[in-house]
Amino acid sequence: MADNLPSEFDVVVIGTGLPESIIAAACARSGQSVLHVDSKNYYGGNWASFSFSGLLSWIKENQQKTDVSDEWDDWRKLILENEEAISLNKKEKTIQHIEDFCFGDQDSAEGVEEAGALPKLPVFGAAGAEGFAQESEEARAAVESTVPESTEPEKATGTEPASAREGSDAEITSEDTSSHSAALGESAGELGQTEAAVPEASAQEPKKITYSQIVREGRRFNIDLVSKLLFSRGLLIDLLIKSNVSRYAEFKNVTQILAFREGKVEQVPCSRADVFNSRQLAMVEKRMLMKFLTFCLDYEQHPEEYQDYENSTFAEFLRTQKLTPSLQHFILHSIAMVSETDCSTLEGLQATKKFLQCLGRYGNTPFLFPLYGQGEIPQCFCRLCAVFGGIYCLRHPVQCLVVDKESGRCKAIVDHFGQRISAKYFIVEDSYLSESVCTNVHYRQISRAVLITDQSVLNTGSEQQVSILTVPPVDLGKPAVCVIELCSSTMTCMKGTYLVHLTCPSTKTAREDLEPVVQKLFNVNTEKDAENEELEKPRVLWAVYFNMRDSSGIDRNSYDRLPSNVYVCSGPDSALGNDCAVKQAETIFQEMFPTEEFCPPAPNPEDIIYDEDEIAPEESGFSNSPETKPEASTEEMSSGGSAAVEKADNEE
Amino acid sequence: MAKTYDYLFKLLLIGDSGVGKTCLLFRFSEDAFNTTFISTIGIDFKIRTIELDGKKIKLQIWDTAGQERFRTITTAYYRGAMGIMLVYDITNEKSFDNIKNWIRNIEEHASSDVERMILGNKCDMNEKRQVSKEKGEKLAIDYGIKFLETSAKSSINVEEAFFTLARDIMTKLNRKMNDNSSSGAGSQSLRNNTTKLLLRAPLNVDCDTQNTKWILLTKPIDLSGSSFSDMEAMKWRHKCNMATN
Repeated sequence: MADNLPSEFDVVVIGTGLPESIIAAACARSGQSVLHVDSKNYYGGNWASFSFSGLLSWIKENQQKTDVSDEWDDWRKLILENEEAISLNKKEKTIQHIEDFCFGDQDSAEGVEEAGALPKLPVFGAAGAEGFAQESEEARAAVESTVPESTEPEKATGTEPASAREGSDAEITSEDTSSHSAALGESAGELGQTEAAVPEASAQEPKKITYSQIVREGRRFNIDLVSKLLFSRGLLIDLLIKSNVSRYAEFKNVTQILAFREGKVEQVPCSRADVFNSRQLAMVEKRMLMKFLTFCLDYEQHPEEYQDYENSTFAEFLRTQKLTPSLQHFILHSIAMVSETDCSTLEGLQATKKFLQCLGRYGNTPFLFPLYGQGEIPQCFCRLCAVFGGIYCLRHPVQCLVVDKESGRCKAIVDHFGQRISAKYFIVEDSYLSESVCTNVHYRQISRAVLITDQSVLNTGSEQQVSILTVPPVDLGKPAVCVIELCSSTMTCMKGTYLVHLTCPSTKTAREDLEPVVQKLFNVNTEKDAENEELEKPRVLWAVYFNMRDSSGIDRNSYDRLPSNVYVCSGPDSALGNDCAVKQAETIFQEMFPTEEFCPPAPNPEDIIYDEDEIAPEESGFSNSPETKPEASTEEMSSGGSAAVEKADNEE
Repeated sequence: MAKTYDYLFKLLLIGDSGVGKTCLLFRFSEDAFNTTFISTIGIDFKIRTIELDGKKIKLQIWDTAGQERFRTITTAYYRGAMGIMLVYDITNEKSFDNIKNWIRNIEEHASSDVERMILGNKCDMNEKRQVSKEKGEKLAIDYGIKFLETSAKSSINVEEAFFTLARDIMTKLNRKMNDNSSSGAGSQSLRNNTTKLLLRAPLNVDCDTQNTKWILLTKPIDLSGSSFSDMEAMKWRHKCNMATN
């Protein structure tokens, strides 16, 4: 790294996941000097989003079991006599049981390279790449094709139809040219043909998306490692608005709530309009549903309605209400989204109320999804931190925390370049802590699957639906599976495909937990041997399963020998919303700086006056911002614009 | 609410640390020059409204917030950008060499049809020049993009640069609309009615023929706006009561 880092900060933040990024932003906003580092070459840790090729690289990286062995010990010289070091992890260990699959269509994918792939060695010469712009290291597919680089082609593997493409030995993304040069054959010569062949094939069958198209259009994908939605009255939305970080992101409403009942996907009427327009509900059901939901909105006012059932489950309570089985199903699984066996009546009512209160703020469902994926959100907070002077370093592993033996407080970090950086406070994401600190910590796991499919699980008039579907467990007591289906206008997948995220708390490996649901909802066979009814289901083009460690809700005291000025942030939890991360960030910030406000609004850039003689005006909301630019001198300039009051630019 | 502009263009500044991105931004937006900026702190974006072909165009120009220093620009920075100024320092050869890398970054993260322009800044410091104007021009020709040498300090070509980029975006936009209108239904209304739209790239417009009003299909939700109130929830409750009573 050409530029040297300062050797002293107020706060050092290690990890760029959501809670860490919020804390970094809050600290910088309140005037602290912040260094924010991540050992990865991308933002977000387990909260990140990847292009298709980026995800393939991530999979490959996590399938490699080998540990980094070249232990560099020189940093120990930087530890003084009265200090001790707490080593940090250099290798990510939070992802397990990754299995990826490619289904069918291999005839056209045979030998196809990612056209316009941005290989790890950039087209513009390797030298520049060394110190530069390695955030692009995860090779991404560019739209315009460039010269194919034989050094690192991302190639559609010649899989048998529907056969597993498991393990790193099947991965052909290796940088080792010799390992696959045979498979590629005369790749450079062939590319012209394959490029020509694919459009031809798609002309014959315009609807079919091939694996090679996915590879080629890989840049269109923004695939989240963690699948979450924002409750429109959740803590994250409130924080985004309050802090003005919302100006860095845009959102789309989830457009439909779905239920899976008796083997069928159905739409759940939840907004006023939905209920009235619903064709599946009889008039009497509409009234029942309305009455019950209205009660839930202010159930606290009517304790007599539920008092007798406070010790029962919500499911039992629902059975006593005047509700048909299908309505009970909708309320339990798709509105309250709670467990049939574990959820108490009060919890169920609370969850239903939360859902209903979130309706209508931004649309007809309670949820928002960030354009370009959830991975944008931590980055938006990082931008705020940077605007307030925070310094960012990715691909910057940290060797250890340096602890003063006498006071027991952490004094500094030593990074992998051997630089010692001191600070007053340290925020560390859980996965960076080594096993010696975490021996008593018990982690849960999250089961995840990501599918690329060719159709929506529910065919409606519009192709551009964003849906959430809860699939209840087959065996009572097991967790329900949350399915979020994203369309291409969320900027997370290419046109003609859908990105489907499945999530549940793990009971087994991700594949064991989720494959039964995938098989119920999707066609995972090739056309040849599929039954007719299978053909109606969306076809899975590509899939990956993995387990992610859930480090949420861990008591601070379970970590061994943790200095008091070191704070631990957890990775993503399995809940649908982001409240956990926001709460954690605020709690940690308040512990560090009890007198400071948490993320007050960043001033509107248009309100800041840079004239030395004048004092910046009071911060105001996003609207009503007086243009502060001095009178313009150019003729071309709009005379009105310079003095006019700009109002609510983004209200459209 | 009446708007004071017809179009909003999001522009970005990109280039190595110290090439003068923030100074260019200040010269253009404030007509001021300040040498005391060490690095970009506290500057998110600046606004200036210009007029092109009788249309008021609000330029929202974003600065890197210093995140270029360690090559950690967030992908979110590039989202929705319609024009990008690639800036190097004519007295610093390295910053010129890195333009290629920045272009590669743009190709990865920005919209594929973003307008680009290369600026060789600090052209007032000719005695320290390391990069000839011809070299800059050649690079720009290689990539098929426009080029200017500028000086934020002496106010040379700064106006021209931003106006050129804005004009190129405008031209592309008009072409897109013409394409759309020749292929889609209700074509005539498009040009007349898009003027008040908040335009973002990439955008997906469709025509609502009944209202002759254009709707952004992918219309994103901007949380900063106050477009929704609690009214919907209240109406809902009201209707519920009506239905059950």
